[in-house]
Amino acid sequence: MASSSRTQVLSLYRMLIRECKKFPSYNYRTYALRRVQDGFRENRNVDNPKLLDRLLSQAREDLAVIKRQVSIGHLYSAQKTIVEE
Amino acid sequence: MLNLGVMASRVLVRYVRSLARPSARLCPVNVTVRAAAAPLPLNQRSFSLLSCSQRTRQTDQTRVPGSLVQLSRQYGDLPPLTLESIKDRVMYVLKLYDKVNPETILVTSHFIKDLGLDSLDQVEIIMAMEDEFGFEIPDSEAEKLMTPDEIVQYIADKKDVYE
Repeated sequence: MASSSRTQVLSLYRMLIRECKKFPSYNYRTYALRRVQDGFRENRNVDNPKLLDRLLSQAREDLAVIKRQVSIGHLYSAQKTIVEE
Repeated sequence: MLNLGVMASRVLVRYVRSLARPSARLCPVNVTVRAAAAPLPLNQRSFSLLSCSQRTRQTDQTRVPGSLVQLSRQYGDLPPLTLESIKDRVMYVLKLYDKVNPETILVTSHFIKDLGLDSLDQVEIIMAMEDEFGFEIPDSEAEKLMTPDEIVQYIADKKDVYE
């Protein structure tokens, strides 16, 4: 993996995790965190540059989706679940 | 006797007049007061009364905290950071991380070479440190922090903690 794409992947990973932690709902938050971590681990050995590009653009789209969903979640905040208290 | 009686009656009359005069003087005043007060509509008077009472109530309220309660500010503060406390907190966070074996980790162990973690784990560790110490570590700095010792040094530099 080229060093530029390596730092790109790592910074995308950071941004995704940071954004996932903002979900107000416990269920969405833990699912999103787990999904991001598993998704990156799943594709850790990808060498194919085409596939890498596709995954990176997919991750950027997902980051935008998470950002939108976080702000929507803040608009309609629900009661905290019992596991959080 | 008759003279005496006349004199007595005059004295009486004078006395009565002198008694009557002040009241006679007072009465017109009362009348004017009433006359002045009467034109005021009843609700206006009650309104002014109300506003008066409100004003006194407000002043009472504003006086109470000044005289009875001492205003004081209290600031939250953490105990000052030392190199030792930073090291303890860094190691505590690392031992809580599920992929790190808390028994084998040392201050000098390299995350990737010694502990067998990957770069994604290292990113997660740095983010846990950010959460623990409450400030953000930029990407360019974060990728250089590979041992607990380097993290302690970096945080001590950022927080102005020296020996």
